[in-house]
Amino acid sequence: MITSYRSTSKWLAVLPVVAMLTFVVAPTLNIFIISLNFESFAILTAQTTRSVVWFTMWQAIISTILVLLFAMPIAAMTANFDFFGRRALISVISVPFILPTVVVGVAFLEILPTRIHQSAFAIIIAHIYFNFGLVVRIISSRWQQINPHLDDVARTLGASKIRLFVTVTLPLLKNSLRSAGILVFLMCFTSYGVIRILGGPARSTIETEIYFRAMQLGDVSGALVLSILQLVVVGVLILLTTQFGTTKSAELSQMVFSRIRKPQTPGQIVLITSVASISTFVVVMPLVSVVRRSILIGQKINFSIWQSIFTDEEISKSLTTSLKYAVFTIVVSTTIGLFGACSIIYGSARYRFLNLLTALPVVVSAVTLGLGLIITFDVNPIDWRGAWLMMPIAHCLVAIPIVMRIISPTIRDLPNGLRDASQTLGATTWQMWRTIDLRIIKPALMSAAAVACAVSLGEFGASSFLVRRNNETLPLMISRLLGRPGEIIQAQAYAIATLLIVACVAIIGLVDHLGTEKNR
Amino acid sequence: MLDCRNLVVTYELTPVLQNLALYIGAGEIVALTGPSGSGKTTLLRCIAGLEVVDSGTILLSNEEITAKPAHSRRIGLVFQDNQLFPHLNVAKNISYSLMIQGTKQKLMDEKVAEVLELVGLTHLSQREVFKLSGGEAKRIAVARALVAQPKVLLLDEPLSGLDKELHARLLDDLGTLLRLRGTTTLHVTHDQNEANAIADRVLDIRNLMLH
Repeated sequence: MITSYRSTSKWLAVLPVVAMLTFVVAPTLNIFIISLNFESFAILTAQTTRSVVWFTMWQAIISTILVLLFAMPIAAMTANFDFFGRRALISVISVPFILPTVVVGVAFLEILPTRIHQSAFAIIIAHIYFNFGLVVRIISSRWQQINPHLDDVARTLGASKIRLFVTVTLPLLKNSLRSAGILVFLMCFTSYGVIRILGGPARSTIETEIYFRAMQLGDVSGALVLSILQLVVVGVLILLTTQFGTTKSAELSQMVFSRIRKPQTPGQIVLITSVASISTFVVVMPLVSVVRRSILIGQKINFSIWQSIFTDEEISKSLTTSLKYAVFTIVVSTTIGLFGACSIIYGSARYRFLNLLTALPVVVSAVTLGLGLIITFDVNPIDWRGAWLMMPIAHCLVAIPIVMRIISPTIRDLPNGLRDASQTLGATTWQMWRTIDLRIIKPALMSAAAVACAVSLGEFGASSFLVRRNNETLPLMISRLLGRPGEIIQAQAYAIATLLIVACVAIIGLVDHLGTEKNR
Repeated sequence: MLDCRNLVVTYELTPVLQNLALYIGAGEIVALTGPSGSGKTTLLRCIAGLEVVDSGTILLSNEEITAKPAHSRRIGLVFQDNQLFPHLNVAKNISYSLMIQGTKQKLMDEKVAEVLELVGLTHLSQREVFKLSGGEAKRIAVARALVAQPKVLLLDEPLSGLDKELHARLLDDLGTLLRLRGTTTLHVTHDQNEANAIADRVLDIRNLMLH
């Protein structure tokens, strides 16, 4: 709690609370109320549902294990060695995570042989690609905080490098490995865009099944029951994360050590060069293939598609819609996220409920969020199904938990002594907030705004439910164009995906640049 | 000048200040000593308005300021760990209080130059604060507090953590500076020698409380 701002906490909480109650809690409760009849629950015993649940579960488990295995060597390298291009490598491997899932799907359609399209293998590969950069970041940042003298102590006590890793490093990384693992599992369990593009009709997860039942079969009550099933699984997992994820991590984060050193032996140099080159190639290759496909028609290079991208009325309209929604998401989610984060940190312990409330969009999942909104706001006087605002509101709901988690650590870590100093130098509460808090959290706020922009540009799950004739966004357009025959149309989809890749690369560059500024 | 009467502060049922009384005359430098945990920093924070007293009154130039917010008391505080604003350079840290008051840029520049000369760090005006040495940071923290022209300056163990040579030099400079400007000062320290060297009067906080 920050005494100077304590009285403002309740006012700051109003906007996030109203937004979450109206657009997340009410629609979710509505899903429960509407599905509360035993007949609807019969779907849970159907063979199709059982196989969908089983597939959702096993592909998520396998994807998570493989992501952790692939991420560990790169995390070890970036946490322990200072080499040329280290920062650039971290930025490059982070790009897939903020890419729209549809674009990742499209990229793997392009690089994988046609015979393994619509297979579990394709889905798992795409999930590894999408998530491993995030895991590297989480584990590497924790690894850097491990006191290097502990390594020395273990070595002098007779531990080999492997024993050192197993008996010292791994136990100290346990919490971050668990958090990263659960996060990846959640991302894969609720994966939608990748499955829609790479799964085809044979490979359905709970998330795609919800969409399929509600929008294609018209079985809304079946979709609602599946939403509840998913909600329960995700809710239990999030509870587990909060139960077990806190021990010792705070203690570690308070320490600052420099364990990063220059590679010394030729072996280390060769290993680092190889791992860095392979990781860069693995990240860049699918993206380059998307760009390549956007300029290839009939195996010949042709830039006419790119001309059409900027002249085609339909595409221009989608581009404008996506940009308009991105601006809306940046402004609204950053404001609500900032208010929420400040309210929790400035206020007493009773404001911590906001942490849970604002995390709800993650628990509920984007598709369920879209379904909830569509079934709740469809009766007078709140018949907003046709309102353009519903889709950007959904984008904001998906972005708010992320925005809050980017801003919160900076506000929490701001030494209270700076505020005291400001007050004794004559600053009022507002002047103090403006000249100290806001100035110091500005880089984090800008990073949050950039990530909110990426979330909006790539949002696909909730948007699939809320799309109307006049508000198709770029990911929705890619998905629609891919479903139509014709090389030119397909190339258009790849050109739009290229635009989104460029936007995401720029966003990661900006976020990492701001991060460097902040840490200076 | 500064008159604290019967100050009482209790943290979770533990009394920290018990009926504390303290008077400092205009232009006087008073050193306050006492063991760790005896309430020295708490007293400074109460005088500065950063903490609320349970009872008692604080008067500044015969005006009661007990309930006044920190920003309008005109009492400067130099923190033990300086608390320089990391996002502002040296000049901007020093001119912070002037900026808050809406002072014109030209006047701000003049005042910053004047106070930097006083602490002998004119050449560092554009330096980032995280690039300052311990002694430089300490001088900038004092300069920042002085530029606000406080009626009373509170120093919370300002010379702790410095090496012996730097400590002696800064102590000397600080004493000269405060006397030159005639600043009413309450200097908290646990070092008896430091207290004797800088102050007109040395008080032990334990003797200021009525048990």
